Amino acid sequence: MTEPRDAGTSGLGHEQWLLQIDAELDGELSLVERAALAKHLMTCAHCAGARASQLEVRVALARSAGNPHAFVVPRPAIRAGTLVLWVVIALGVGLLGGWIAQQRWGGPGAGRSLEETRGTIVVH
Amino acid sequence: MAPSLFTNIILTLATLQGPGTRLTYRIRVIEPAAVAPRILASGAVSGPVDTDMRLTLRSDSTEVEALFQITPIGDTVNLGAEFYTRRRVGRSHRGLPIWEEDTYRRVVRLAWSDTARIYPFGGAPVVAPQRGKGVRSTWVELILDREFAGGEARPAEEFDLVDTTRNFRLEAVVRPRRARVVLNLVRGDTVSAPRGVDLIPDEPPRVVQLVLAGRPTTLVVGLTRPQPARTERERALALDVDVICLRVAPPDTPEPIGQVCGRLNNVARQLPLPTGDTLAATFAWPGPR
Repeated sequence: MTEPRDAGTSGLGHEQWLLQIDAELDGELSLVERAALAKHLMTCAHCAGARASQLEVRVALARSAGNPHAFVVPRPAIRAGTLVLWVVIALGVGLLGGWIAQQRWGGPGAGRSLEETRGTIVVH
Repeated sequence: MAPSLFTNIILTLATLQGPGTRLTYRIRVIEPAAVAPRILASGAVSGPVDTDMRLTLRSDSTEVEALFQITPIGDTVNLGAEFYTRRRVGRSHRGLPIWEEDTYRRVVRLAWSDTARIYPFGGAPVVAPQRGKGVRSTWVELILDREFAGGEARPAEEFDLVDTTRNFRLEAVVRPRRARVVLNLVRGDTVSAPRGVDLIPDEPPRVVQLVLAGRPTTLVVGLTRPQPARTERERALALDVDVICLRVAPPDTPEPIGQVCGRLNNVARQLPLPTGDTLAATFAWPGPR
């Protein structure tokens, strides 16, 4: 994250202020940085709009995650049932693939067919 | 048509089984090479017309034993081969080799002058359009020959192993109808005079007397066939066919002292007697008559 700026923040460009907005919404700014950002937002309509837009996006994400009243955007979580299901599917596919490979290529004596390993007599 | 064919077969069989016909299997073991095929071994097995040939070829991972038999039909001959194969297919979890055993039969019909090519380790012969696709492996060339031999009944074997690192073996297999048995009594350094008898398997036993250090010993001896083959390998390779057993009994009781078994290969086999002597019996082919 960017270093806290307690001085000279007025020299930051919009790109840096947008990063500061992200960091503020993520709760990663110190009080001094938050104060500087608030002061900038009062004078910069562009950055204030960007902050409102960022908040809208985060609200939409919280809604889609099923928790519209969350304080922060909920991180995607794998549910235990889903995890077990995928583990079972992976194990099943692995076992099936192993069984097919064993039938086709594996085990003692695999390779050439039995008839190919047997002796033959050809008359000339 | 059918009666004439039948008569022809009977006449051919009668001619071939006459006392003067001798059958010879001539073989060459050949290994494919980049420039020209290399002959690893050559040999021949001959004997009366019912002689079979037992061929053994061993490599690091495969053992092939085969018994070849013929059935003459007119000017052609049916060549049958009973194969017994062991192949190493891997190792167990404990590191021991795992072998698979396979028994199967092959039959081809050929003329007497034809050459049969046997691929004992499998692999189809490579023909020109498919060159590079087939598996080339060691093969055995076999030529069958028959000739007049004046009643010679004992089999003969000759084998020339060119590459001594290879493990090949060739044997004649003939069911003996008679056997020459030479008997000796042995005790310490003293040996009795040899006593030879011609015996026929499953015929009534004969009484023989052997004198060792002036003391006569009387025995009743007879020839029998060994027990029938018990394993698949013994049956396929007819390992019991050319073996005979000498049954030895005292003259006053039918209970035998024991028996010794072996091929007619002039190797002495020993049987301890209750008197403390040892009976040495040597089996050999009888002389022509």
